[in-house]
This record gives sequence, structure tokens and C-alpha cells, in this order.
Amino acid sequence: MKIVIAGAGAVGTHLAKLLSSENQDIILLDENPALLGTLESNFDLMTLAVSPTSVIGLEETGVAQADLFIAVTPDESQNMTACMLAANLGAKKTVARIDNQEYLMPRNRDFFARVGIHSLICPEILAAQEIISSIRMSWIRQWWEFSDGALLLLGVKIRQGAEILDKPLYELGTDIPYHLVAIKREHEMIIPGGNDMVQLNDIVYFTTTRKYIPHIREVAGKEHFPDVRNVIIMGGSRIAIRAAQQAPDYMRIKIIENDPKKSELVANAVSDKIMVINGDGRDIDLLVREGIHETDAFVALTDSSETNILACSAVKRMGVQKTVAEVENIDYIPMAESLDIGSVINKKIIAASHIYQMMLDNDVNNVKSLTFSNADVAEFTVREGDRITQKAVKDLGLPRGTTIGGLVRNGKGIMVSGDTHILPDDHVIVFCLGSSMIKKIERFFR
Amino acid sequence: MINGRFISRILGLLLQVIAIFLLICAAVAWGYGEEDLEAFLLSALITMASGGIMMLFGRKAPQKFSIRDGYFIVSATWVLWSLAGTLPFLLGGYQMSFSAAYYECMSAFTSTGFTAMDNIDSLPHGILFWRSLMQWIGGLGIVFFTIAILPYFGGTGVHLFAAEMTGPTKDKLHPRVAITSRRIWAMYIAITLLEAALLSLGGMPLFDSFCHSLCTTATGGFSTQQAGMSVYDSAYIQYVVSIFMFVSGINFVTLYSLFSSRRRKRIQGDEVKWYTGSTLLCTLFIACALVYFSGRDWEPAFRAALFQVTSIHTSTGFTSEDLTVWPSCTWFPLVLLMISGASSGSTTGGAKCIRLLILYRAVRNEFRRIVHPNAVLPLRIGKQPIGTQTVLTVFICIFLYVGFSLFFAFLCMESGYSFVGSISYCAGCIGNTGAAFGEFGGSSCSFLSPAWKWASSFMMLVGRLEFFTILLLFTPQFWKHQ
Repeated sequence: MKIVIAGAGAVGTHLAKLLSSENQDIILLDENPALLGTLESNFDLMTLAVSPTSVIGLEETGVAQADLFIAVTPDESQNMTACMLAANLGAKKTVARIDNQEYLMPRNRDFFARVGIHSLICPEILAAQEIISSIRMSWIRQWWEFSDGALLLLGVKIRQGAEILDKPLYELGTDIPYHLVAIKREHEMIIPGGNDMVQLNDIVYFTTTRKYIPHIREVAGKEHFPDVRNVIIMGGSRIAIRAAQQAPDYMRIKIIENDPKKSELVANAVSDKIMVINGDGRDIDLLVREGIHETDAFVALTDSSETNILACSAVKRMGVQKTVAEVENIDYIPMAESLDIGSVINKKIIAASHIYQMMLDNDVNNVKSLTFSNADVAEFTVREGDRITQKAVKDLGLPRGTTIGGLVRNGKGIMVSGDTHILPDDHVIVFCLGSSMIKKIERFFR
Repeated sequence: MINGRFISRILGLLLQVIAIFLLICAAVAWGYGEEDLEAFLLSALITMASGGIMMLFGRKAPQKFSIRDGYFIVSATWVLWSLAGTLPFLLGGYQMSFSAAYYECMSAFTSTGFTAMDNIDSLPHGILFWRSLMQWIGGLGIVFFTIAILPYFGGTGVHLFAAEMTGPTKDKLHPRVAITSRRIWAMYIAITLLEAALLSLGGMPLFDSFCHSLCTTATGGFSTQQAGMSVYDSAYIQYVVSIFMFVSGINFVTLYSLFSSRRRKRIQGDEVKWYTGSTLLCTLFIACALVYFSGRDWEPAFRAALFQVTSIHTSTGFTSEDLTVWPSCTWFPLVLLMISGASSGSTTGGAKCIRLLILYRAVRNEFRRIVHPNAVLPLRIGKQPIGTQTVLTVFICIFLYVGFSLFFAFLCMESGYSFVGSISYCAGCIGNTGAAFGEFGGSSCSFLSPAWKWASSFMMLVGRLEFFTILLLFTPQFWKHQ
């Protein structure tokens, strides 16, 4: 697949490296040759110092043959212009990175498609969604919904006293209302078999349905965890505003921002229920005054990854159950994770995995890249005659490093065991290690 | 630090590739029913076995690959392949010393064209084919060839590509290195076959036309005759060879985009102009000199000049007649062309036109700056601006080229060779030209002492990989643990 990426910023570069390691033909454009640097001699891709909005430049790049054109420069209007030009030159599909939420409204979709912008992504909104879903229940590290919430994927850190600790998985039986799809131990992701055991401090990923969340909470030993109501967000960034707008009504949110002017802007942008406080989020007295001891979740979204990590680590000691840190420096993520500060979000990885999902066949309507690990979750729609419908799950010979997390049939989530037969029109959620496995799994859905 | 086991595995794999080429030569020897069949089979067996052992040693290597590994692999591959290349010479019973055989193979792989053999006319077909084939593979690059055929390299091929390609800018035809190299090799094969067909139509024996074609597209300059191309006194053959030498001197990426429907204008436009211009200018100058000083007719003078200019300019090193009897005013442009070489990203040696072009424009800008101290003077090749770092690298490369040539020429003179001979021989080795004046202008360099044969092999390798790749291995930083 020939993919042209315009903009060699953080998202563009990350995406280019990710896709070139999967043997896609990548051409990375940027006006500024300094940004392209030595990428070409270190990765199997081509870089060109060409302006993404230059018609001649795009022609010479060979946009006409491109299967996908991705514009991820920092400027949204430049991205949209580049996509329009690329589509008119013959690019099959275009994606533009934008900031303005209005563009995402469904009624505008036809208009954008008509001018050649086929998809829009806004990394801030995606990050805000991820933050809200991860703080919704503080004992859950990661939370994803499939098919409008019919099936859930939950990541839970296992502490002392959990029911499933140090027990071979086959002892749990087969009629349990959840499926244990993966275990994250230290920095390694494991797809467990029947003889594997859950150990202390593992992060365990369950698939289940909404009804059985309390049951998961029980087996994971998390009964004493309160639901999140009081939230403090540090840093009045665009993500903070989006997150505040998207939070459910029962949450009480305070945003702490150091810059007075920015505080005012944030205050104007959010509803009255959300309190904006002008002050330094690193100031412990201020945090105590604003009720850090009654806070259930603390979200650090300043521009500095270091500040976010340290602030989360500090408030964790003050008794806040749930912390979320924005870490934009990808190399810091494993370290942030080992500091035990709860969830880590990264705009680049979120945006890249979202675009990656667009690349896969249309049958996959949901691919989520689990942040800070090389695991992917994919949702497939089964069609008549697919290979996966021909045998029971245990006889299919699924490749190692993959497991079926569950399926959604007629809008209802169902757990999958070895004897389950998958039927046409089911939505199947597959968990796999390494995004290259998705391609292998795709063969079962043909 | 370098990943020894992984390198061992890749080098082992590369040895398997050369074993296949040895088997091809064995097939040629078998086809002609000659006695060197056994030598080739044995060579292939030894190469395969040692490659197998190296692969076995590295079978559990971690797949970690750094820039250092890339440079080490490329350097080691050239040394190892030349070593494997000596086997048929040593096992075939040609009374060749190891140093002479290694000299021959390094000269072949680097497509230089100096030979240490005096008995080429009496050699069997298999070994003649082997000499030509070595030049042909080495012309575009050993590792470059392997990237094209083995999907195994994948992303790691990028590091190798950068270490082996010639020229200050590394251009790609396609985002993926493997596909770039596959297309270029396909074009290379097509050019070779076309030339072989044209030569055999001109009355050259089929085997000879094939071997000469392999050596022309590689701009190597080995011949199946001791006396070289002067045996074929046919205007047609000389024109055909001249044209193909010229074509092989063009940047292959540019050449490919000339044929493909979607052409992208990249920076080589200027280089091609410079290359064509210098070829025409020197040809006309030498043709005139031959007409006025040697009293020849226009057509033979033009033909001889064209042949010799393209041969020296592209660093091929074929000679159609004895250069030493030419008017001495023709030597100067020929030495200049020898130092210059043809385009980057082609099979030729020398400094490459694009470097001289950058050098020229940098010098021109410097003079403009004196007159207009506040002028902003970007250095452009075509439409592409060339950064200061690239200009600096070009200067360093030219400095190394000249410095190395002079250093070795000095040593050469100390060993008792003539001034003109020493300078042109050392420049010819480092520039991979394979043509020289004085005592080195003859058909063979077998008179060199073993020490000089080793030194020459080193010069050829350093020149072929454009200094940095080989010399890097001699720097302490390369081996430090950080």
C-alpha cells in the first residue's frame, strides 16, 4: 500500500516509522528538510522536502498513485488544503488532522467528502475520550467499549487479596462471565493459556459485559475502591477543555491552570459546573485547599511530561486513587508506568493507532492500540463463508499470540469458549500481540 | 557495540549468494567441457560450508541492528567476497600467488580493471566468465544485489544501502529499498543483455561479447583478451562499447526515470548535463589533437577519442590503442576525467561529477561573496538546495581522495616507479579506473611486489566504498562501547 504522509512532526514521524516497519511504502513530506533529517537512512521509507500544499510538489511525489494521503502538519487549514489537492490529484483516501471540533459534526461529513477530505481526526478529542473512559471507574486502568458497549475490555492491576491471584487459570472454570485475554507483567505482554497464573502487580485484561463489572471488581479484589466523582485536572490545555466537556454530569471537575490569561480562556470555554482555578498545580497547599484529599482522580495535562509524571506521583502519595498523566515523550512511557502512576496517555500513539485503523480493511471497524505495549485489539464483522465460521474456535488453529476476546451477537455480548461456533454477522473481538498479527488474523475473516 | 552473531549470520548468508555465482561459472566450465569445472565446484562447496558455519554460529542472534553493524557488514562483505573469489584461481592451478589472486578479485569486484595475469589468452572459459561476473556484481554493489534478491533484509537493508551506495546524496526510486534495488537490477540486466546482443551482431564471438558486456555495464574494464579491446578493430564494436560505457556512467535512478512514464525531476538533471558536456568537450578536443598532431582522418580520430574519453571518464579502463603514443596534450584532459569519474549512483568510480559540480559552485559562491559581502548565496543543484553539511562532506571526501592518492603515489615513487606512473596508478586504483600511464599503462600489473598488491587491493576497496565506510572501521570511536 502506498501511503504519503505530509508533516514530519511527532505524529507524522511516529506513524511513518510504524507503517514502514509493516512493509508499507511510505513517503514522508515536509517543507522543512531539517525535520526529515536522517529518517531516510535509518528507516525503510522515502523523505522529500516538499511543501504539502504545493501542487507540483505533490504531483512529483506521485500522490496520484497513493492509496492513502495523511496530512498531519500542525496547521489544520494546511492539512485540509493538502488533502483537497491530493484527492483531486488522484489519492484514493485522505485523512486530515484538525483542531476544530465543529468539523467533526456528522452533517459536515458529506461536504468534506465532496471536496476530497475523506476522514478527519482530532488527536485532542481522542485523547479526551480516552481520559474520561479511564477515570470513569478508578479501579480500572483501561476501559474500552465494543459495539456501543455491548462488550467491554477492562485492564485491572492485581493487588494482594485478589481472588484470581496465583491460581492456574483452568481452575477458574469455563462458565465464568468474563474472559482473561492478556496479562501485562513488567514490560511484557502475555496471552495466557490454561496453566498460566496471575501474579502480584500484573495488569490483567478482561473482556466482559456491563452486567458483570461488579463481578470483575470482586475477583480482582477491588471492592473498596470508590467511584470517581471529584476530579482535578492540572493544566488548561485543549485536551483538558475537551475532557471537561465530555465528562459525565455526575463528575465534579476542577481545572488548575498557572497562566491567568489561559485560565480565563478555559473558563469561557467550559460550562459553569466546572471550576477553573488560577494557580500552580505543583503547589501542595493549593491542592490541599482545593480538596485533594477528597479527590478521586487527578489528571495531569501540562505541556511538560516530567511535570505530569511527578505531579501524579506526588498526589498518589496523598491518597488519590486514580491518576492519569499525559506523557508526550514516548521514551518516558515505560518509566512512567513503572512509577505506578495509573494511566498514561500519549496523543501521538492515540492518533497513530486511529489512523492505522483506517488503513485496515473496512471489515475491521475498531482497532485499538493498547498504549505502551505492542498489543492490538481488533473488532471484525463476520460474513457468510468466512474461514472463522467453519469450525469451532478451538479447531480453527488461530496463530499463537492471538486470542478471541468475545463476540457481539444481535447487540448482546457473549463470551467465547473453545466450543463456540462463530456465526455470520457476529462482531468478533480479537486480541493480538504486535500489530503485524492483525494481518494474519484478517485471513480468518475472508 | 556491534552485534557479532547477527553479523556472522548475514555474512554467512552473503557467502551462500556468492556460492551460487560460483556454481554458474561451474556450469559454464561444464558447458565448454573444460578442466576447471572441478575447481569451481570445490570453491562453491568451500564457500557454502564456511557460510553455513557462520550462519549456524549466528542462528540465535538477537535481531538488533545498528548503523555500526551496517558499515561493518558492508566492509566485511567486500573483503570476504574477494576472498571467496580467489578460490577458483588458487584451486585451478594457474600458479598464482595468493596476493596476486586477491589483487585480481578485488580489482574485479571494485570494477577497477587492473589485472595481475599475463596469460589471459590461454585461460579457460570458466575463469574468464568468473572475472567478468565478479565485475558485473561488484559494479552495482554486492550488498545492493543481495538486498534485491533476499527479502530477509527488510528494514535493515536501509543501513547497508546507505553504506554502499556512491555519491553525496542517496536517492531512491521507490520508498522501499528492496524494490528500488530490484528495479535498478532489472534495468542493469536489460542493458547488459542488449549490449551483448549488439556486440555479437557486430561479429564478436558470443562468449566474448557476453563477457565484455558484463564488464562494460559494470564500467570495470576486464577483457577476455590480454591485449584488451584493441583486438577488435571494428568501428561498429567501438561505437557500441562507447555508447554503453557512457550510458552506464549515468546515475541509475535518473536513467530509470528517463524510461519510466512518471519522471520526477531530481537533482541529477544538472549532473547529467555536466557529464555529457565534459564528455563531448574532451572528445572534440582530443579528436582535434589527433587530427592536427598525429595526422589522422576525422572519423577514426573522433572514434578513438570518444572511446578513450568514455572509457576513462566512466572509469572503465578499456583501451583501444596504445595511449603512450598519443600527443602528450591529450594526457591532461584524460587524467582530469579519470579523477572526475562519471555520475553518482552509477557503476563508475572517481570523485563523481556531482561532487565536482558542488565543489565548483561552492568556489564560485566564495568569489561572489568577496565582491558582495552581504549576498545570500544558496548552493543549488537543479532546484534542490544543498546544505552546508553536504558541501562540507563533499570537500572532505575530495580531500581524502586527493590525500590518499598522493600519499600512496609518494610511497609508490619511493619503491622506484616513475612519477607519472605512480600518480596515475594510485589515482586509478582509488578511483577504480583501471587505466594508467607509464609502466602501469601496459596490459598487466603482474610485476608489482606482493606488498604493493595488498596495498593496491586496499586502495581499490577504500575508493570503491568512498572512504568513509572502510576508514570508519579504523577509527577508535567505532569500537568503543558507548
